[in-house]
Amino acid sequence: MKSSIIVLKEQIKNFHLLRRLSWYEIKSQTSGNYLGAAWEIINPAIQIMIYWFVFGFGIRQREPIGDVEYFQWLFAGILVWFFLNQGLMKATRSIYQKIRMLSKMNFPMSVIPNYIVVSQFYPHLFLLGIGIIILQFMGYPISIYYLQLPIYTAAAVALLFSLSLITSTLATIVRDVAMMLQATMRMLLYLSPILWPPTLLPESWQPWLKLNPFYFIIEGYRNTLLGQSWYFLENPMYTLYFCGLVLVLFIIGSYLHVKFRSQFIDFL
Amino acid sequence: MSKSVVVKDLSKEYKLFANKSERILDLLLPHKEYGESFFALKDVSFEVEKGDIIGFVGVNGSGKSTLANLIAGIVPKTSGSIEIDGDVALIAVNAGLDNKLTGRENIELKLLMLGFSKKEILEMEDEIIEFAELEKFIDQPVKSYSSGMKSRLGFSISVRVNPDILIIDEALSVGDKAFAEKSLAKMHEFKEQGKTMFFVSHSIGQMKQFCEKVLWLEYGVLKEYGDAAEVLKNYDNFLKEYGKMSKKEKKKHRDEGMARRLNSKADIKLETK
Repeated sequence: MKSSIIVLKEQIKNFHLLRRLSWYEIKSQTSGNYLGAAWEIINPAIQIMIYWFVFGFGIRQREPIGDVEYFQWLFAGILVWFFLNQGLMKATRSIYQKIRMLSKMNFPMSVIPNYIVVSQFYPHLFLLGIGIIILQFMGYPISIYYLQLPIYTAAAVALLFSLSLITSTLATIVRDVAMMLQATMRMLLYLSPILWPPTLLPESWQPWLKLNPFYFIIEGYRNTLLGQSWYFLENPMYTLYFCGLVLVLFIIGSYLHVKFRSQFIDFL
Repeated sequence: MSKSVVVKDLSKEYKLFANKSERILDLLLPHKEYGESFFALKDVSFEVEKGDIIGFVGVNGSGKSTLANLIAGIVPKTSGSIEIDGDVALIAVNAGLDNKLTGRENIELKLLMLGFSKKEILEMEDEIIEFAELEKFIDQPVKSYSSGMKSRLGFSISVRVNPDILIIDEALSVGDKAFAEKSLAKMHEFKEQGKTMFFVSHSIGQMKQFCEKVLWLEYGVLKEYGDAAEVLKNYDNFLKEYGKMSKKEKKKHRDEGMARRLNSKADIKLETK
């Protein structure tokens, strides 16, 4: 618990630092390419097209999911996945990649995974904005349900930060963790309700799939963008589970982080 | 005069593992000992007065940079104590610069990381740019810089930060003469203000010119610490002698040093008794 408070305090105290560092992170990442930031759009666009082609056009034979066309269904769910995937992977590698940049040991190191998450958050907002505009023309205009969007966005950031506190610490100590995580994320892409509706599976399997916290965020985004329901209110137990999980992850993450951070540099 | 740095019985131990599974076991089972200890520094003690300029000499791998990093607080110590009165800044070639960002951006980034506020950074930026003499390159990515330009930028930032204690790790050996002279002038200014400075360098000439005291490290152990002229003379003699040694003698000398550093903790205790 003590470490959780330390970590939280560091985030609040270094808010300006967090903002500037995440800004420079984006700049540094995009500066090498001629198209620069445009890749934040081009890349997801290519992936969406190929998934739509393989799953929607090929496997599902253009059959809609419930009363939603496959493309719209995929689109509303996958937008946040790019943020979850990129954010978690980059934040996991952040500490061992950035630690050389630090010139002082008393640097508030818990800021590092967080500023990487935030640096991925800007492109997410940008992508989300474009996604919303596209959805306007596809029969899903902005609705009252958009009011719940900040909840899922905040949920995504909170989950990423808590999770990356754990993974970035472990990955600094044992580099293989990053590789393992990459494999896991690839698996989760197929185990989350992104490319196909899990309702196709038997009823008894559903709760197991819902253990995956990404499930909550993706379904929340989808219900918001397609204006279907107040997802978090209609599934109160699931919302509670999600909040509890984030809290537990955060406590474990800050404990690990604070315990090991003074030795991070020795693990390089 | 008051002390600015007091180092007592300082040791830095690294673990050498024969293979990767040993490394994992060492992490998972902390109560058991895996791997071989290697002392980058062993029981180093010395004291530095305010305003002193100390040079660190020693052959490659003798622990100079480790000692500099320990004093700067970048690397955690294994045992012993370091007491420091004031802020420390370490200048090393290429230290903490993001290659993809421009010089100007790097200045802000670095100052942010050192904990300065927005306002302070704005005030410092112009002076740093002026001192670094990068002209047009200041808005170019750092990856296009020569090593001299990089160290000039690093040096300018660290100098402007105005630390109480400055550690310069080989950083000046890459700058050209004009800049080295400018830096030396700056350091003389610091000296007059009573700041403490550490110099890590292989250039005995530069040391003679600037340092008052020299600390000679040999295989992680403090060999000699004292008046610059005297220690440098002894060090120079040692280098000449070492150069004259036959290959076999050299190897023996190295092996002895290595053995001292590798001994497990139990052995060392016996030896010192």
